[in-house]
Amino acid sequence: MKLMEILEADAVILDLGAQGKRDVLAEMAAGVAKAQPRIDAEQLLEVLLEREKLQSTGIGDGVAIPHGKLVGLDRLVASFARSSEGVDFESIDGQPTHHIFLLVVPEHSGGKYLKALARISRFFRDPLFREKLSASATLDDLIGTIRDADEKF
Amino acid sequence: MSAGEEQEACFTVGAELGLHARPAGEFVALAGRFESRIQVGCGDEWVDGRSILSLLSLGARRGTLLRLRAEGADAAAAVRALGELVERSTPAKTGKT
Repeated sequence: MKLMEILEADAVILDLGAQGKRDVLAEMAAGVAKAQPRIDAEQLLEVLLEREKLQSTGIGDGVAIPHGKLVGLDRLVASFARSSEGVDFESIDGQPTHHIFLLVVPEHSGGKYLKALARISRFFRDPLFREKLSASATLDDLIGTIRDADEKF
Repeated sequence: MSAGEEQEACFTVGAELGLHARPAGEFVALAGRFESRIQVGCGDEWVDGRSILSLLSLGARRGTLLRLRAEGADAAAAVRALGELVERSTPAKTGKT
């Protein structure tokens, strides 16, 4: 599975205005709903926040992978947001989060959810990939960095 | 127990959805309670057992065989506890991922 197949390029955010976890997720959910009219921003925000209550998806190394299930969705949908300043995502290592990859999962996604998660993690565990994202000056650069990694592996 | 103790054992992933975000988070939290260095092997790859990103990158589905290796004073206890977590079929009470 390629990430570009599920990434909603129109929902990608070059630099988040929001600072706290709820506001970040709201900003991203609004972007996804705009790009994918089948998705309701309020409903998405609600499932994302529910999931965060179980355990923060701020998984360290400046990366968060918030995700949630939406009934009625027929495929995985993803978005990405960067924060130059860093946001407080209640990350497990207590460090600010700079790279947020959002994953919206259909109710019965089978193994695709795990595969997407593995691919996202494989890219983001590489410090060079994260540095490249941090250094991207435009939205096109940012998406191009993800596309390049996607084509390489 | 000596400081240089090393333990290694294989375990099968029991969670229905595989080693996804939450079990990986629980694994790292548990691994952090031990002094030993923890590594997780899958196929021919070894990753750091204290990194959620690394664990998730394995994409380990239910039934996948994982090797746990611990090096340190509490290696045996670490492998035992983490192995139990890997084999558990229900990581938590809800069906959420």
